[in-house]
Amino acid sequence: MADTLSDDVLRRAAERAQSKRFDVRTMPGFTTIAVICFIALYAPLFPMAFYSFNAGDSIAVWQGFSWRWYVSAWSNDLVKDVTVRSLIVAACASGIATVLAVLAALGTTRTQPFRGQTLIYVLINQPLMVPEIVTGVALLVFFAMIKVATGYTGLIYLIAAHAAFCIPFAYLPIRARLEGMDKTLEAAASDLYATPIQAFRRITLPLMTPGIVAGAMLAFVISLDDVVITELVKAAGQDTLPTYMLGQLRRAITPEINAISTALLAITVVLLTTIFFLTSKKE
Amino acid sequence: MDVKRIGGIAVAAMVASAGPAFAEGSLNIYNWGNYTNPDLIEKFSKEYGVEVTVTDYDSNTTALTKIEAGGHGFDIVVPSASYIQIYVGKGLLMEARPDQMENFKYMDPKWVDVEFDPGRHYTVPWQWGTTGVAVNTSVYSGDPNTADIFLNPPEELVGKVNVVPEMNDVMTMAELYVGAEQCTTDKEKLKEVRDILMAAKPKWIAMDYGTTEKLSKGDLMASVNWNGSTFRARLNNPDVVYGYPVTGYPVWMDNVAILADAQNVENAKLFMNYIMAPENAALISAFARYSNGIMGSDEFMPEDMKTAPEIVVPAEFAGKGVFTKECPPESQKFRTAIWTELTK
Repeated sequence: MADTLSDDVLRRAAERAQSKRFDVRTMPGFTTIAVICFIALYAPLFPMAFYSFNAGDSIAVWQGFSWRWYVSAWSNDLVKDVTVRSLIVAACASGIATVLAVLAALGTTRTQPFRGQTLIYVLINQPLMVPEIVTGVALLVFFAMIKVATGYTGLIYLIAAHAAFCIPFAYLPIRARLEGMDKTLEAAASDLYATPIQAFRRITLPLMTPGIVAGAMLAFVISLDDVVITELVKAAGQDTLPTYMLGQLRRAITPEINAISTALLAITVVLLTTIFFLTSKKE
Repeated sequence: MDVKRIGGIAVAAMVASAGPAFAEGSLNIYNWGNYTNPDLIEKFSKEYGVEVTVTDYDSNTTALTKIEAGGHGFDIVVPSASYIQIYVGKGLLMEARPDQMENFKYMDPKWVDVEFDPGRHYTVPWQWGTTGVAVNTSVYSGDPNTADIFLNPPEELVGKVNVVPEMNDVMTMAELYVGAEQCTTDKEKLKEVRDILMAAKPKWIAMDYGTTEKLSKGDLMASVNWNGSTFRARLNNPDVVYGYPVTGYPVWMDNVAILADAQNVENAKLFMNYIMAPENAALISAFARYSNGIMGSDEFMPEDMKTAPEIVVPAEFAGKGVFTKECPPESQKFRTAIWTELTK
């Protein structure tokens, strides 16, 4: 007993030593590189956020603190209009994408492995790999043909386009959740005479909900932030917040655009933080 | 329940957004972002009972691509002068004959027989501006109306001149400076252009945008710059003046045109005629701060624009402007080569 115990202790100590040796965090230069990466990622955002509180008209000369540009953005009818449109598109697109992603995730994790499964992964994740401008131009030409043929130019094209590229963003967290879930619970439900639908509704669905919410939120953020595809697909009167902001750049930029950007950044950070807590709850 | 309700709202939103494109009395304008005065649109809407949407684009190429694809739903587009012939060549514009419209009489005669639309069969000016040089007079008191400011900087300005990184503007100014034509393919002249630019470059401080801010603050004492930007810089800092190089300076103009596949042609024509009326043209300028090409609009303009020498070109320099155009591929190749060497 004592022998095995000390063996155990020794083995753990050896493991610890080994794991320490291979811990990337102890590699030379790790901290430096990490710090440089974080600075490169986040440093440019600070001046932008900083000057959104500028009292003056400039985005480079500080003239005191003020909420002026937030007030001006808030009372700008155009900004309101495009923000509402962005939210409608993001809500519809992420809703559609999430439903499809749930089905796809179930189809690829709760079935016997089948031939061509990898191909299915690739197909589902295609929007992650194809450059956005390629998809954008393809959609532009394709939708233009439909628009000319049907004469209908509503918001549905934007929603369809957004839903399409949001699918992988919704799919990946949901699939990860499903793969991490204990399949024996579903098996137990079946053993206890639950029909497949009951097992899904009472066991699988509640357990995968954090994954679904995370996927939906990620899809929502991705849709909200999209520029390239939206710019090419939008029809008359369909500017979204990002395309509106892009349009402002030709003329003198005022801190109003900083204020809008900062607000958008804040919303994104809040959503991403929520996703983080939802998905890390299990650990 | 909730899901149903959200779905209902979404469908309603889609239907609603589809509405204006087909309703009687609508007009869909496709224009550069932050370029259309909301007051002008409201005034037009009220007067004619037309529902107007304005959609933004950020570059001539984006606009052209979308319009070429078709099915866009726009009636009016506002391309730069250099793009008008491309649009016309592809059959994308309607020959709306603004020259036969009632308010055509207000158009400044110097903008009627323009190279890109002789006699104005397709387009009406929206706004136009120039590229010249901005100089801070507290440092340099000589004549600002010369391209020497950046191509052969005077002693006081060495190391204080900025050049905006716009190939077409800078190359056009340099070509005109050596006495060549815009988009020249004359190799000797091009060599001269190249040598002058390369010799001048060490005397520049930067090749950057953001000139309005830096000229206002005095970080730059001179720069190749646009008239509207220089105008705003001068309002911040009275020492800044705008020079029109006598050897020639680039002129740009954005023009209102009706699309060949426009759905609301009559409203589009109404709008075209409407913006040629001086008081309406003045509204365009009051918002985006550039000239509009309509005679008599000055008196309706904001006080600070009426007499601004950046906006109102002094008579002695009026004939020196040259419309920037898209160069043919051969000269574009030379330009790019020189530009690449210059910006290395």
